Amino acid sequence: MTDAEFVIAGWVITGLAALIYWIRLERKIRRAEQLDLDA
Amino acid sequence: MTLFNPTVARVLGWLTLASLIVLALFGLWGAPPDDVQGDVQRLMYLHVPAAWVAYLAFAVTSLASALWLWERTRSPVWDRVAGASAELGVMFTALTLIIGSLWGRPVWGVWWAWDARLVTTAVLFFLYLGYLALRRVPADADVRARRCAIAALIAFIDVPIVHFSVTWWRTLHQEGTVFDPELKANIHGTMAFTLWFGVLAFTLLFAYLLDRRYRLECLNEGLADRQLRRAIEERVRGAADRDAPKVGADR
Repeated sequence: MTDAEFVIAGWVITGLAALIYWIRLERKIRRAEQLDLDA
Repeated sequence: MTLFNPTVARVLGWLTLASLIVLALFGLWGAPPDDVQGDVQRLMYLHVPAAWVAYLAFAVTSLASALWLWERTRSPVWDRVAGASAELGVMFTALTLIIGSLWGRPVWGVWWAWDARLVTTAVLFFLYLGYLALRRVPADADVRARRCAIAALIAFIDVPIVHFSVTWWRTLHQEGTVFDPELKANIHGTMAFTLWFGVLAFTLLFAYLLDRRYRLECLNEGLADRQLRRAIEERVRGAADRDAPKVGADR
């Protein structure tokens, strides 16, 4: 792997980790809000 | 229920997104490559802020745990904040380890070394992973909050060990650079700006995610309470139906 590839891997992993965590969190919040409304 | 007022939370979300975009622009293009490490040093604009946020998250968890344990300030809010912050701390510790490993391979020649800083950071990751597992163990809310608060405070002992490991032991990991008065580190203006901006952007990201994670914790607690109440009501109703005299039972 070249230096540039290590840098890109690091930035992509960080970006994806934050994005996936946020999307999953928002989905869980929406589902819980829906259940809260249904109850 | 959220930690911040909804308008503040919305502004914080947009500010976080904008700051992360600016960080990416400076970290990948704006800042010059390092004289010795070249472009690989660009990983430091993520590694250092991620490590800082991990420390911050565990400090928030410990403070909230202490506030829960102290009877005068005891409130379920502190237990929720502690749990939400610990989860974020675990995520940022994992990122610190992964980015550090990606940086270590081209600079040190290895993905991993049994170095004091690396090992104590991995221990920190597993300690708080255990803390999160402890939070999932079913128990009465107060019992769970108490044992988790104690576990969080014990786990926090590792944070200063991680931080000072580079001065207490001879390590492959470099010592503190920016604040070392003997080193007098001369950092290029744009590189220093990008590093500090990264710390700010990650702190904003932590504050925003903490607010959202706290909201989820509140919703889940409400749902669990309601489910428990419904289960008790059904059990009571079932018992009442069983005990009621049956018409025509004696015929």
